[in-house]
Amino acid sequence: MDLSSYILILISTVFINNFILSRFLGLCSFIGVSKNSTPAVSMGLAVTFVTTMASMITWLIYNFILLPYHLEYLRTISFILVIASFVQFAEIIIQKKAPALYKIFGIYLPLITVNCAVFGVAVLNTDVFFLHGQAVPNSFIKAVVQGFGAGAGFTLAMLLMSGIRERLEFADVPHCLKDAPITFIIASLMSLAFLGFSGFKI
Amino acid sequence: MKMMGEFIKGLWRENPTFRIVLGLCPTLAVSTSVSNGIGMGVAATFVLIGSNIFVSLVRNIVPEKVRIPCFIVIIATFVTIVDLFMKAYSPALSRSLGMFVPLIVVNCIVLGRAEAFSSKEPPLRSIMDALGMGIGFTWALILISAIRELLGNGSIAGIYISRSFEPPLFMILAPGALLTIGLLIGMINYFTTKRR
Amino acid sequence: MNQMFKFGMILGVICLLATLVLAATYQVTKPKIEAQMRLEEQAALKAILPAADSFKEKTLDGIEYFEAFKGGSLSGYCLKITASGYGGYIRLIAGITPDGVIKGVRILEHQETPGLGSQIDQVKPGEKDPWFLRQFVGKSARTVAVKKDIDAITGATISSEAVTGAIRTGADVFLLKVKR
Repeated sequence: MDLSSYILILISTVFINNFILSRFLGLCSFIGVSKNSTPAVSMGLAVTFVTTMASMITWLIYNFILLPYHLEYLRTISFILVIASFVQFAEIIIQKKAPALYKIFGIYLPLITVNCAVFGVAVLNTDVFFLHGQAVPNSFIKAVVQGFGAGAGFTLAMLLMSGIRERLEFADVPHCLKDAPITFIIASLMSLAFLGFSGFKI
Repeated sequence: MKMMGEFIKGLWRENPTFRIVLGLCPTLAVSTSVSNGIGMGVAATFVLIGSNIFVSLVRNIVPEKVRIPCFIVIIATFVTIVDLFMKAYSPALSRSLGMFVPLIVVNCIVLGRAEAFSSKEPPLRSIMDALGMGIGFTWALILISAIRELLGNGSIAGIYISRSFEPPLFMILAPGALLTIGLLIGMINYFTTKRR
Repeated sequence: MNQMFKFGMILGVICLLATLVLAATYQVTKPKIEAQMRLEEQAALKAILPAADSFKEKTLDGIEYFEAFKGGSLSGYCLKITASGYGGYIRLIAGITPDGVIKGVRILEHQETPGLGSQIDQVKPGEKDPWFLRQFVGKSARTVAVKKDIDAITGATISSEAVTGAIRTGADVFLLKVKR
């Protein structure tokens, strides 16, 4: 077990290849839900939960069903179905068993099915942690770590952006740049800052 | 005449990229070169048309509660068909779009149109709607990728225009994409509100 | 419960139909996809060793490679190498002579960052082959290294080192095995 490689994956997905700021995955909810920090962070937590779980489930499906039976072409359809059903299932369970938790992020769960970050990390896992149709060593844990890191990176970007946008409420933004355009421009500057991490190697 | 309206609205008034601001992940990620932009636009248009037709056909059979999973399955089918055909007939394009071809399945435009339009309208009008949205998406992609490729690489569609300046690399990278779309939407807002 | 069952049935039928359609599409496109891959491999081989007149595909302890023949005698090897790059795997073919001099390198597939790592197979305007890969020609495959023989791409040190390192270890392992 090589702990440093997991830490590397985590740092890489949170900072170096931040899902929103350098891969553009999950951008729609990033622009849509980042006006205030409380919902933004709740959304981030919900996404982290789903990306972690989805990484697990899709890895198992890919490794034990799709690969052995040469059904790789069913990847898209099976992943999206599994993610959609998992999200629905999680919503029901959380609503029944943990109403407090449901209040925090439950309402964002339905939105997450079509969040590119979730499906994106599942596809990325199969691209990166499988070589010549075989799982690389420890690939299950790596996939889960990458799933968690993707969610954590998403939450970080949401937190930063919502903090900035809360202040922006009091700023005199030119009318035509209000809302989406100024958010893109800020995201661009943030992404420029995150570019400073690129090429880091541990 | 009404048919024409369904088609036209996607081009400008309800342009998915600039007006509704949907389907951004692929828009920004693949718009590093014009050829990528065209490829992605055409692929997404095909998926839009295919899924809109089928969603519209099954709209009265599928019960309300399971409609989203059903729509997703239909969309995923068309995405996979595009993916396989692209691999077979244009492997270079398929490689440079990479994981963003399967990601069309979570492109909010596709599910958005299925849910908002074709689940309520007959097939023919759904086709017109899909065609309009698809072309609207494609031209937005071409515009963004042309700007980024010209500034970031000094070329358009692979043809080198000018070697008189050292292209600022950051236009090809992530920040350039976000800046381009931010300023474009800002400009469009400026000109449309001024006219009023 | 009855209603749940009906919903499940409808979804199941749609899934079944979708799978059938996809299976059919896969069967239709599969030969074409494989043909395309072979075509690209052949093009890469021709570009690496233009003088060779025939290539024979072989496998040795899991290493896939081609033997290149010129006028009936062995003129070199082309190894299929997978490097672990910045954005994923880089699949490439490296051509070497039997005594380990690199004749050429071609990238088959990569997912490096556009604008940075993607320069590993970028062709500059007015040129015919990728400038980064051209540096490898004539270098000794078993000792080739960034800085010493190869100038890394600005802003893409990891991609440059991934390609160089994979060729070095790939060729080293292969040459030891093939001599035996």
